[in-house]
Amino acid sequence: MSNTQFTITDQQRDYSQFGLSENPFPYSPVPDDDPAVYCGQEHATREISETVSTVLSTGKSKHLVITAKYGNGKSHTLKYTRSLIRDRSDVIVGYVAQPGEGFHDIYQEFIYDLGFDRIQRLAYEYLAVLSCEVTEFEPTGPDEMQRLIDDGEILLSELIPEAIRRLNEITAFADFARAMLHMVYEDTNLYAWQWLTADGIRYEQRKQMEIHSALDDDTSSVRAFTALKNLVVELGYTGIFLFIDEFESISRLSPKDKQTTLNSIRHLMDQNSHGLCVLFGCAPEVWQDVMSEYHAFSERIGKEVALKPLSDENLRYLVRSYLELARESGEETLAPFGEDGLNVVLQYSQGNIRQALSICSQTLDQAVEQDLDVIDAAFVEAQISNRS
Amino acid sequence: MLYRQRTLETPHGDLETPVLFPVSNVGKRSSDNTPAYADQIPDLRTAMVNARAIRQREPQWERLLDGSSLRQEMGVPDDTIVFADSGGFDFHTETLDTTPEKTLETQIRIDADVFGTVDLPLSREDRQAKNQRRINESIQYALAASDAHEGDSLLFASVHGHDPETVRNSIRYLDRHGDFDGFALGSLVPIRTDYRKTTKLILAARLATDKPLHVYGLGGLVYQPLLLYLGVDTFDSSSFIRSAGNRNYLIPGFGGREMHRIEGLEYLPCPCPVCGPRTTEAVRADRNLLVQHNLWALTIELRRFRYMIAAGEDIESYLELRFQGNDVTHRAYRMAKQQVRRLA
Ligand SMILES: [Zn+2]
Repeated sequence: MSNTQFTITDQQRDYSQFGLSENPFPYSPVPDDDPAVYCGQEHATREISETVSTVLSTGKSKHLVITAKYGNGKSHTLKYTRSLIRDRSDVIVGYVAQPGEGFHDIYQEFIYDLGFDRIQRLAYEYLAVLSCEVTEFEPTGPDEMQRLIDDGEILLSELIPEAIRRLNEITAFADFARAMLHMVYEDTNLYAWQWLTADGIRYEQRKQMEIHSALDDDTSSVRAFTALKNLVVELGYTGIFLFIDEFESISRLSPKDKQTTLNSIRHLMDQNSHGLCVLFGCAPEVWQDVMSEYHAFSERIGKEVALKPLSDENLRYLVRSYLELARESGEETLAPFGEDGLNVVLQYSQGNIRQALSICSQTLDQAVEQDLDVIDAAFVEAQISNRS
Repeated sequence: MLYRQRTLETPHGDLETPVLFPVSNVGKRSSDNTPAYADQIPDLRTAMVNARAIRQREPQWERLLDGSSLRQEMGVPDDTIVFADSGGFDFHTETLDTTPEKTLETQIRIDADVFGTVDLPLSREDRQAKNQRRINESIQYALAASDAHEGDSLLFASVHGHDPETVRNSIRYLDRHGDFDGFALGSLVPIRTDYRKTTKLILAARLATDKPLHVYGLGGLVYQPLLLYLGVDTFDSSSFIRSAGNRNYLIPGFGGREMHRIEGLEYLPCPCPVCGPRTTEAVRADRNLLVQHNLWALTIELRRFRYMIAAGEDIESYLELRFQGNDVTHRAYRMAKQQVRRLA
């Protein structure tokens, strides 16, 4: 839309002239939560698979840093990896878009990403496991546990004191144990959730749950994270996957806060030699600084893998994969993009995935509008000059 | 609205609910004996007594063992329907001085119609572990009573909990594992000013089972319409005695007013048989008259509600009007209404 007037319509553009059901390229520069296409950078996928598989198969903790310049697919890679393991029933996966001011923020984002329902189900799941041991019932999961309580088959006043006692032992964090179990009480579950998300709750609400401490700093957040991990391992999960994107933003912090944050993550790793996998996405220059300034932290992270800009071949693969998502015939072809058109895309974007996808998306829309057959070099160039 | 009317069969006749059980302090070492009221209020042939207190007052207990009847001791007609609670509210100490069996024996001896099971009330201040233990013990006592109980008297399991899950879970557990004719929700008195919580707990109990529901200790003027609205079947109150002790004059819709504040008024506004023919001065001078009037006030409150139902009036508008005078109770009613409507 290069003219001066807006054309706003709810009518879908017709992409059928290209044999496409829609424009498959992402409009927004933010990667999808569940990316359908991943442009394989083989060395990267190999490292990620290796790290994830080690944790899954041995239960031992392993961590990885993925470095890439802005727009080269860090978030996309993290989110794609997350989408691959999120549906597994043997792990808990949480995504943190950026580290914020410290581990307290990382913890908070992680719990928010899991969500109220997931945390509540973990509480019921724990009660189910306990019921198998201390009652005649053998609930197979959270839903059945909830039903047994609702129907009065299992007596809460008998189960809860024992649950608190044992969860205390498992997590070594009495307040965490109480908060988790309060997730099953409708009167207090919002307060419990507030406490668990480190949102801060009023003293009276804490008192009602007999919770003595506040989750308000890095130290207590590390404790709570570890407690949660111990709980899920007790429940038979292999462990927790923590994705921290845009790790480079720690460079904005004061040297003291940066140090505190890195120390907290280091403590988290030290306290969890099993059942934890942290995957970082970070800009290479910031990671270089961390490597040189904070050995104690960086040496705990096994590996670094760098994402490269797209090659000519990568770009073709990427574009073909996206087009396939909307291709009505199922054919594998680059049409309507011409070879020379893609060369311009690559040149202009310098292999930056975000840029490349954005140009593809716009030129495809314009091609439809102008009833074009092929998106060639001249057309792409014209669109690019229109953009700027 | 959850209001409901039922007929419960008891050894001393049919009991039409919803109904109030006025607390009788028979057995208590007290000069404030409950005056006879049954003859004067025809629709109040009910009484709530405390089994433990009766058993502990030796001379009277001896007479009962010798064949005297409780109804004679109380000076009420023989067909008075008696609810005997275990007296749980006195057990603030750790050691329980009765057993389910002993309580049951007392309830049988005094020929009660409704038996409340032995229970350990909760305290708001107690640690949760302690309250959990008390909840659990009360459940075990109720189950023991269920095992030992036979005969035509109704057995109501006493239930405690300061959250809806516990109340629901306890009632359903008892319903499943014991044989009860109804349930009685306790431990609400200490939290009664928290209306939201109290109505939530009552609703949880009301919806956990279809069996009759009694609520202990909240049948006073303010709560009564709420209990009716929430479909509570039976309730008790000692407020008419306690208020009279404080020289408080109860007026439906207004609550209590201290007698000494009423000045320059020859006659009181109440048409009941106590106030109607007497001067303000006469009622003020006689505590027994004040008790009787206060009981009339509670009865009139119930009669009004029943009338509104019978006349097909819109109960929610009636209650809206009824609670208008007092911000706190008006809010309480609004909250109850929201909670009830959410169920619809
Ligand atoms: Zn009167």
